Amino acid sequence: MIPEIGHIFLISALVFSLAGSLIPVYGIIKKDELLISTYKSLLLATSVFTFLSFLILIYSFYVDDFSLLYVAMNSNTNLPFYYKLTATWGAHEGSLILWISILCLWSVFYLFKSKAQGELFRCMTIIVLCQIIFSFLAFTIFTSNPFERILPISPMEGIELNPLLQDFAFTIHPPLLYAGYSGLSIPFSMAIASMLIGYKSTLWAGLIRPWALLSGAFLTLGICLGSWWAYYELGWGGWWFWDPVENAAFVPWLISVALFHSLIVTHNKGVFSRWSLLLTILAFASCLLGTFLVRSGVLTSVHSFALDPERGVFILLIFAYFILSSLLIFAFKNKSEGREKSYSFLSKEFGLLLNNLLLVILALSIMFGTLFPMIYEAFTGGKQISVGAPYYEILILPFAIGLALLQGLAMYLSWTKISDTSFITRIILESIIAFILFYLLVYLFFGKVTSGAFIAGILFCWIISGNLVDPFLRNLGFSRLKKIVLHRMGLIFSHLGTAVLVIGIGMVTSYSLQNEVKLSKNDDYVLGGYEFKLKDVNISEKQNYETERAVIEMKDLSSTKRTLLITEKRFYPSAKQATSEAAIKPGFFQDVYITLGDNLGKGTWSFRIQIKHFVRWIWLGAILISLGMIISSIKQFKVKN
Amino acid sequence: MHPLRKQRIYVISIILIGSSLALFLVLSALSRNIDLFYSPSQFHDSNLKEGAKIRAGGMVQKGSFVRVPDELEVSFVITDFNKSILVTYSGILPNLFSENSGVVVKGIVGKEKTLEAFEVLAKHDENYMPPEVQKTLKSRSDS
Repeated sequence: MIPEIGHIFLISALVFSLAGSLIPVYGIIKKDELLISTYKSLLLATSVFTFLSFLILIYSFYVDDFSLLYVAMNSNTNLPFYYKLTATWGAHEGSLILWISILCLWSVFYLFKSKAQGELFRCMTIIVLCQIIFSFLAFTIFTSNPFERILPISPMEGIELNPLLQDFAFTIHPPLLYAGYSGLSIPFSMAIASMLIGYKSTLWAGLIRPWALLSGAFLTLGICLGSWWAYYELGWGGWWFWDPVENAAFVPWLISVALFHSLIVTHNKGVFSRWSLLLTILAFASCLLGTFLVRSGVLTSVHSFALDPERGVFILLIFAYFILSSLLIFAFKNKSEGREKSYSFLSKEFGLLLNNLLLVILALSIMFGTLFPMIYEAFTGGKQISVGAPYYEILILPFAIGLALLQGLAMYLSWTKISDTSFITRIILESIIAFILFYLLVYLFFGKVTSGAFIAGILFCWIISGNLVDPFLRNLGFSRLKKIVLHRMGLIFSHLGTAVLVIGIGMVTSYSLQNEVKLSKNDDYVLGGYEFKLKDVNISEKQNYETERAVIEMKDLSSTKRTLLITEKRFYPSAKQATSEAAIKPGFFQDVYITLGDNLGKGTWSFRIQIKHFVRWIWLGAILISLGMIISSIKQFKVKN
Repeated sequence: MHPLRKQRIYVISIILIGSSLALFLVLSALSRNIDLFYSPSQFHDSNLKEGAKIRAGGMVQKGSFVRVPDELEVSFVITDFNKSILVTYSGILPNLFSENSGVVVKGIVGKEKTLEAFEVLAKHDENYMPPEVQKTLKSRSDS
């Protein structure tokens, strides 16, 4: 009975969102105040019903209602209760409901935050949001209904939640990522509304900025968590695989970063206004395209949920509707005057223009690489290829260098023309000094400086000189420092975060040690200043899995400190799946990472031992970046027009 | 010339130069990093040279898995039930590697049309089958 109520709630939400996308439109055409004013209550009703049906789905997981196909496929009675809750978004159907619920949260949040904005503008924004919510609700109900029953005979026991997903990071990875994805609907809807009304570009750019920043921050955190999860859960010790679905999140991230940088110019100077509008559309389009890639199963990926062409067609229809109609509006209704002003090559405008150029071209190239296997297959009559990680690695390097060089100057670029260029020599000098220090330190610790570390070091020193060292040296004295920090805190955090990220990537790719070794009991193996000794391997059974557990003693050869590390290989009988639980000894400068391989017989086992330098800096950098974005967005919410 | 028009020309030319550089980079990176996929039948019909880098996939033939005792070296045969390829590999196999299940290997073509794999990918759960392998097997059963 209860699942039927959930289903009815979902349908009610669909009806209300349809009403929300139509009735206010009719009101606007008829100039009927009363009909226009329905948009608030219709959005709230949609949100409440969506949320209630989401809660009911969670409840069905909690009480093990295996008469629901979705629950039976993704949960079972042995699952600990907290994983039952997160199993709700462990597969396609539930994660869609989560996606819609989060979009509803965003929309309601927008409603509360936008009280100072014009009534017509709010109404139009909400209409677009209701249309997005409606199309995803329709998609859920018609192609992927989580409340579908297995009747009359329902199973007594469910299959299991994918063991890889029985994990803390997974609990919050999808909600954060979806918050970023669906958050980009808000700038999109606001851009449509401002085009239709014909707002001045300095006005709408200011209104959209905090939303673009905030969704960018969530996207950053979501991607970062996904990377961290893949690192410790998949047992390979990698943190980025250029998997199509990773790209499907990385591309919107790049575009959202380009968007809020471009909005800075539009907000302050009124230029780049058409470009900014196009970027809001492009950002939303890349989110929809990402959804299509993940949900339709057209690409080979770790993340592919279900291979269902029907779903793919449905999402393509949604995609076509929103992108075509928004481009039409852009072409015919865009009244925002394309003001042009002259600016010099050394100006904030030009710097941000280059930033946008680099980010968007990079995003498109990554998208191209991701879609290329499909294109190739279509044109060669079924020949299958894959685009390897080196493609992306070669590609991203020049863009990263260009972006980092711009970042170093970001603090000092001023509008129209820079009169005093002395900062450039100062930053160059400071980064040379910093780089000499860096070089010496790296040389002392590792005995050699690889080209990767060399480049990363230069970029790191350049960014911190321009964003931290120089501003602080120039503004000694508490009150001046305080002013700078308060004024530019978001920028400083985000740009320093990038520097930390870059050094993390440079070091981990340059100095990581890895070897696959075989060890018998009491054998030892030396790698990177540590001695690893296999103490024991035992086999045991746990609540919902069987496990092989290896105990390894790690001895630090310089201090003879000993640490016990445990790595496991688990087999989950109900899911018929195996997972590796790596033994990780985390550290600020290096992680020791061991995975248990195969039983080679005669009491010998294979292991993969890795020492990964500076790997934590990658996620630390990402966290700093998103922190900066959050700080900036809070500030932008306050200075609203 | 009007300064604004001059600026516009500059901006447009920068965009054009930037995009063509990027296009060049994309195409050159792409041409070196495409891995063609071969089913065992396609593999034998092709005239692949020794040393070519490819991906291949199929089912791991029952009873073909051999491990050099006490070593990391293994060999196995992948098949599409028409033709088959002998694959050698040294290293840790993925958790769900087993006989009679789908697998994709990346490797270098060796002597006498064998494959020296440097990466082995198995499905990551019981229901998942690499799409290429699925297509390969399907086209076999259709013909």
